[in-house]
Amino acid sequence: MNSAQIEIQLIASLVAIACAIPGTFLVLRKMAMISDAISHSILPGLVVGFFITQDLNSPLLILLAALTGVITVILVERIQKTGLVKEDTAIGLVFPALFSIGVILIAKNANDVHLDVDAVLLGELAFAPFDRLIISGVDVGPKSLWVIGIILSVTITLLIAFFKELKISTFDAGLAASLGFSPALIHYGLMTVASITTVGSFDAVGAILVVALMIAPAACAYLLTTDLKKMLGLAIIFGVFSAISGYWLAHWLDASIAGSITTMLGLLFLFIYLFAPNKGLIAVIYREKQQRIEVSLLTFLLHLKNHSEERERHVNHLQEHINWQKVRAKTVLELALKNNMILIDNKIVSLTQKGDEFTSKAIDYIITNEDAQIEDMKDDFFLFRG
Amino acid sequence: MDIKEYIELVFSDYTLRTITLGTAILGAVTGMLGSFAVLRKQSLLGDAISHAALPGIAIAFLITGSKDSNTLLIGALVSGLIGTFWIRGIVTKTHLKSDTALGLILSLFFGFGMLLLTFIQKQPNANQAGLDKYLFGQAATLLESDVWLMAIITGICLLVLLFFWKEFKLFLFDADYAKTLGFNTTFIDVLITSFIVLAIVLGLQTVGVVLMSAMLLAPAAAARQWTNSLTNMVVLAAIFGAFSGVFGTAISASQNNLSTGPVIVIVASVFVIFSFIFSPSRGLLFRQIRFIANRRDLELQKTLAFMYHIAETHENISHPHTIKILNNFQGYTRKTLKKLVDKNYVTLDGTMWSLTEKGFETAANLYNQQAIKDE
Amino acid sequence: MNRIKIMKEPSEKKEIPASAGRIAVQVDDLTVAYNYKPVLWDIDLEIPEGVLMAIVGPNGAGKSTLIKSILGILKPIAGSVSIYGKPYDQQRKLVAYVPQKGSVDWDFPTTALDVVMMGTYGSLGWIKRPGQKEKKAALEALEKVGMLPFKSRQISQLSGGQQQRIFLARALVQDASIYFMDEPFQGVDATTEIAIINILKELRKSGKTVIVVHHDLQTVPEYFDWVTFLNVKKIATGPVKDIFNDDNLTKTYGINYKVSIQE
Repeated sequence: MNSAQIEIQLIASLVAIACAIPGTFLVLRKMAMISDAISHSILPGLVVGFFITQDLNSPLLILLAALTGVITVILVERIQKTGLVKEDTAIGLVFPALFSIGVILIAKNANDVHLDVDAVLLGELAFAPFDRLIISGVDVGPKSLWVIGIILSVTITLLIAFFKELKISTFDAGLAASLGFSPALIHYGLMTVASITTVGSFDAVGAILVVALMIAPAACAYLLTTDLKKMLGLAIIFGVFSAISGYWLAHWLDASIAGSITTMLGLLFLFIYLFAPNKGLIAVIYREKQQRIEVSLLTFLLHLKNHSEERERHVNHLQEHINWQKVRAKTVLELALKNNMILIDNKIVSLTQKGDEFTSKAIDYIITNEDAQIEDMKDDFFLFRG
Repeated sequence: MDIKEYIELVFSDYTLRTITLGTAILGAVTGMLGSFAVLRKQSLLGDAISHAALPGIAIAFLITGSKDSNTLLIGALVSGLIGTFWIRGIVTKTHLKSDTALGLILSLFFGFGMLLLTFIQKQPNANQAGLDKYLFGQAATLLESDVWLMAIITGICLLVLLFFWKEFKLFLFDADYAKTLGFNTTFIDVLITSFIVLAIVLGLQTVGVVLMSAMLLAPAAAARQWTNSLTNMVVLAAIFGAFSGVFGTAISASQNNLSTGPVIVIVASVFVIFSFIFSPSRGLLFRQIRFIANRRDLELQKTLAFMYHIAETHENISHPHTIKILNNFQGYTRKTLKKLVDKNYVTLDGTMWSLTEKGFETAANLYNQQAIKDE
Repeated sequence: MNRIKIMKEPSEKKEIPASAGRIAVQVDDLTVAYNYKPVLWDIDLEIPEGVLMAIVGPNGAGKSTLIKSILGILKPIAGSVSIYGKPYDQQRKLVAYVPQKGSVDWDFPTTALDVVMMGTYGSLGWIKRPGQKEKKAALEALEKVGMLPFKSRQISQLSGGQQQRIFLARALVQDASIYFMDEPFQGVDATTEIAIINILKELRKSGKTVIVVHHDLQTVPEYFDWVTFLNVKKIATGPVKDIFNDDNLTKTYGINYKVSIQE
């Protein structure tokens, strides 16, 4: 590994961390698509900034472009407020228009602007180590490393300083307002950080990867935990992991680094989506199957409790009236028997004392809307799960 | 080049004619189907689908080695559909919300597509150039056969719309009700979604992956402002879409170095801005005018009602009072008083005013109407 | 202790339909769950033909869910429903439905007449377009709910009460035998409420069965002749005069209720 390679991985990792922090909050606040809008619509700001500064890493350019991002958010909210179009249509209208303006500005000034639209989408991470920051003749490292490093330290400082406020306003905006934290201030603060991060990461990894790095690590983390601190930590780990593994994938395939990092994120998400212990697809499907049977069991037990007539308690009744297929009826009966909830005597089913107790408790919980208790209760009563 | 020359050129020049026709048809079909996307609150789905189509294009090229646009479009269609259904899978099976699902699929598929594209570019067989036109679209690469394909699909789409118009309308407005009437709503849903995906894929070559969603939304959002009928909205959206295509092509053809996609999107956005401001029934301009007019009416009515309450206490309703007492009343201005005089509700005599018969009656009516409303 | 004051019906004698009459809707052992949490539990219910029935119960009791699963919008995990002895799919032309007003987007680009016409789509079936006959039926229904002058209004320009009347007209066009209504009095003005209940009473008089999810306990004895108490389980069902009492209200709402009749 040469020093350029190390620098590239360092930059990519810092970008991943800087994106994961605001990204986590965007995902929790159901505003993930706003990051897509911001990443596209900062283009005109970037181009105008470039006209003025002629340097993609200039702080002025970053602020100018970030301002366009915040303006986008405000514009979207304004359009939503008019009620002329539905919520998400506003987002879908604003960012393509602004992005188009940016593309056209670049095309019309191709001779003066050394900006490439492909680079805007994909970034030029491979070239980042060649643009060095030189202070009084001393080479202190690549410029982008400094840019993203500064942005990251500001983000982390803000995160630590306002963690409580962010947390409360994300989970309960009403409570936050009543405690005196202005939700609007936190909202626009977050939007500003997201915009600045997007711009700072832009020339390293490009517009689309910024979106991927904001949303995907947070989404992966959200499938594993609901604890905010853990979620932030996991999102950062996933981001850095994809950044470094993505770099080596690109190295191996000789393909775009940004594309490879995104692909690694995609694979990571696919893996977690399928295998996350509680919220992954396989776990969900397994649990749904289990619950389907257990709810059926509850239904059946309650039916027994409600009816004393023998006709209603005959084994065949399960198919005739309760309308269950043979297999399902059999599964339910077996589960009930295994758990000692019922007795079958000459094809007439009746509740055992345990079954009766279980059913009374379950319906109490359901009527008082304490559904969560049922799961605990199942642990107490069930010897075998569905 | 002036407009007349340009129009002549459209009819005589093969390339320009093909492009103009192609973008016009594309605008029409996306505008039409976009109306449904907008009304279903699936505006951003189009964005996700178009991005999700990119890896399909690259994989189709890797497998067949052909740059034939039909082959690539099939790849795009397949991966667009996979993206769409994965989004649904994420939303229904996990606790991630739809915005996260959209953003995930959009960025992850696109990133993977870019990986494949850059990978293809580094391959030695050199046949690869031109795949990146799918990023921003290059109408100039449209062939007559592409336009034919668009026309045929638009035709099929029109037929389906005509056949199932009633069902589409019912489903969009009230899906549950449609179900109770015995319509298979899953079928209608899949039909609409598939056509939206098809329209998006059709536009990738011309407008590009990045901006395709605007073609879907902008004409429909503009059309919605001018009409309150679904039929008119769909027709208008098709017209706006077609014009965006034609104008966008004209502008980009007359300039150097301009991709067609962004220009078409800008033109469509201009339609949207114009409609938002100037639509007579919903537009912001007329809304503001109506708002001001209403406020003035309200001030007038309030002043009249205030006078009525004073006049009520006297047996003779036209008993004169000093203008001074009105000064305590919020909302009173010289202007409103003058208006009331103009309308013959009030007569002035020096510093004294008195209600006329007509004014008293109007005020009494106002009062009654208010009482009815409050009930 | 909650007190419900009820105005006693003036003089009009209520005709309680003979319970020997036909059964319009029969629900057997119906259990419905959202995300595997039971919302309705083992419901057995028989609704006789020709009643005007209220379904009452606290929020989250599963009132709308019951209607929706009878109409096949929700799939139950157990149990069955029959309309005049046959499954819903075979009998849906006998059934009309008024959903909750808030369930649709009222900014949808369509007119009042258009919405009412949708009531005819069920009998038309796939592809066939509504013609003059359907339009005439829709106009008649609009007339009946007093909305004829508003027929070409865009639906967002109607008041809440007017929107509800449009929904009622759409169901009337279906010309059904059984009407299901989900909170038709939600957010409507007093005039509309009276207009709607008069139409419902008229429907009952002509032998139709009307089932209404209802919120306002005070008006139950005045409006309805049959009532079902629901809170996840069925608490009671029967004629209002027999079962609308403290006991059932308390069982349903979990608070002590006292019905006091004002003479």
